[in-house]
Amino acid sequence: MQTEDPHTEALVDSTPVVEFTGVCKMLGNRKILDNLSFGVQRGETFVIIGYSGTGKSVTLRNLIGLMRPDEGSIRVAGEEITTMTNKELEVMRRKFGVLFQSGALIAWLDLFQNVELPLLEHSKMSRRKRAEIVQQKLELVNLWQDKDKFPAEISGGMKKRAGLARAIALDPELVLYDEPSSGLDPVIGYEIDKLINRLRDQLKMTQIVVTHDMESAYTIASRIGMFYQGGMLQIGTPDEIRTSEIEEVQHFITGGRKGAVSRRSTTAILKGRSPTLSARLEAGHDEAHTATETGGDAAPEIMELEPEPSPPEPENKP
Amino acid sequence: MKDFIGLRAVRGAGYTLLLLLEALGYINHAWKRRRALFTQMHVIGTQSLAITCFFMLLVGMVFALQTGIEFARFGQTSLVGLVIVSAMVRELGPWMTAFVLIARVGSSMAAEIGTMKTSEEIDALEVMSINPVSFVVMPRLIGYAIMGPILTVFGTLVGVAGGALVANVQLGVPLADFLRFAERGAEPLDVYWGLLKSLVFSLCAGAVACSNGMRTSGGAVGVGRASRNTVVVALTLTVFLNYLLTSFYRMVKRLVAGIL
Ligand SMILES: Nc1ncnc2c1ncn2[C@@H]1O[C@H](COP(=O)(O)OP(=O)(O)OP(=O)(O)O)[C@@H](O)[C@H]1O
Ligand SMILES: [Mg+2]
Repeated sequence: MQTEDPHTEALVDSTPVVEFTGVCKMLGNRKILDNLSFGVQRGETFVIIGYSGTGKSVTLRNLIGLMRPDEGSIRVAGEEITTMTNKELEVMRRKFGVLFQSGALIAWLDLFQNVELPLLEHSKMSRRKRAEIVQQKLELVNLWQDKDKFPAEISGGMKKRAGLARAIALDPELVLYDEPSSGLDPVIGYEIDKLINRLRDQLKMTQIVVTHDMESAYTIASRIGMFYQGGMLQIGTPDEIRTSEIEEVQHFITGGRKGAVSRRSTTAILKGRSPTLSARLEAGHDEAHTATETGGDAAPEIMELEPEPSPPEPENKP
Repeated sequence: MKDFIGLRAVRGAGYTLLLLLEALGYINHAWKRRRALFTQMHVIGTQSLAITCFFMLLVGMVFALQTGIEFARFGQTSLVGLVIVSAMVRELGPWMTAFVLIARVGSSMAAEIGTMKTSEEIDALEVMSINPVSFVVMPRLIGYAIMGPILTVFGTLVGVAGGALVANVQLGVPLADFLRFAERGAEPLDVYWGLLKSLVFSLCAGAVACSNGMRTSGGAVGVGRASRNTVVVALTLTVFLNYLLTSFYRMVKRLVAGIL
């Protein structure tokens, strides 16, 4: 354990690695991302929280170039990725490690081969060197003894851990996680959290984590951004979020026990502003005159707006 | 407009064609991906050998029986050898093999790729800068294109053997007679043409399967749909192509005959 508090800003230098500015994305007939702006500093773990089916995964997909935004700019290490050609994207993506919601291991390769895959494709290492790295990564996630198993033979939690080992196989600068702890038992979920912290502290990786699990968010986050109606409603340190005065944020982080999702117009929502939100919130408050319209017991509006996510259509790439 | 079925079909056809070309463009990766390629050749070829042979054996037998009945009316039963060989080499061999492969391999190929698509594996490949067309589609397509013609050779031989068996046992044609006429059933050009047809069918069916897989959306239902579409589209396409190719071949043969 470090003597320093890992959450102090001192550890984090201020060049933004990832910068969203005014990003909009329509899917179907809905504006999933609506003027989304936020920045992620080098070396920090930025946690995105928000209701299910609102567009957190879509945010990540835009960041890795699996989708392209309709408007706005996304910069990674200063480079604009929204206008990159596929070739340029390929190069850029080598800086990324991504852990998908389901692990996304290749079904016909065993765990060893799955983790070896990025090394095999993108480096000219000798077989022995590769094996060494694979062993190191699999040991890191506690799966070395299962290296010969195939994805169909292991549990969901193991898949996620193997997916993580694969994501960091090439020591990426930036690791993205889509719900790393969902579907895991609390102990393994906590193991993953510790792993994420270790990657930040020891390997200085910049990480973006999408999660529903507030416990985990508080454990790993340098900063937390609350995603709401296509933008960032609030961005702040775990403490700032915990003590947030914004009702929607309270509603979310307490699991609906506190705060109501009000009918506050979207104009009142801060989009990607820096941690000092309260002042700005105050400024936007007069527009939010309808905030008291709904009582605390009213069904959260979000539920009406966001029904079960319909099966997504693929982005056809010709 | 979005759901206009004709438009979707055109778009699907365009995507399939592009995918086919792209996959063929990655043929230089074949050595790097030889393990995947051999696995696919095994799954597509070796594992389909038994069913293909069984199928073709019975097709040959029934065909001999039917033609035998007609030829018997003219006392020309020994001609069955000629008919069987020419039909097998030019039509039944290539197309029936394609048929078996579409049912056995095409549908499952689409389902497999479709599952990869819905479980984010394809996305994961892209994020790892591994081109899914090179990694997933190319080995399958090339494996299909190699094994289709090879299976056709086996299928045709077995089909002819089935015909000979029936001719001998049930129609009373001596084997020597059968073979004497069989020789005239096909010239070398016919054999090559049959193999070429088989190659075309294999590429078509493989491309349709991979394309349906890659375009899968909507979970398990989508995977089922991809697999079903593959069988329907690939069968229709190959049977239609077969007609076009045969017409073309006949034209060429007549031209050649005219020149000589
Ligand atoms: N390719 C797509 N085409 C059309 N709509 C899509 C597509 N992908 C996602 N959507 C829609 O966008 C919305 C946001 O989806 P997304 O997967 O980003 O949610 P999420 O915030 O990650 O939810 P969860 O926490 O449940 O994973 C959903 O309503 C979904 O139906
Ligand atoms: Mg998601």
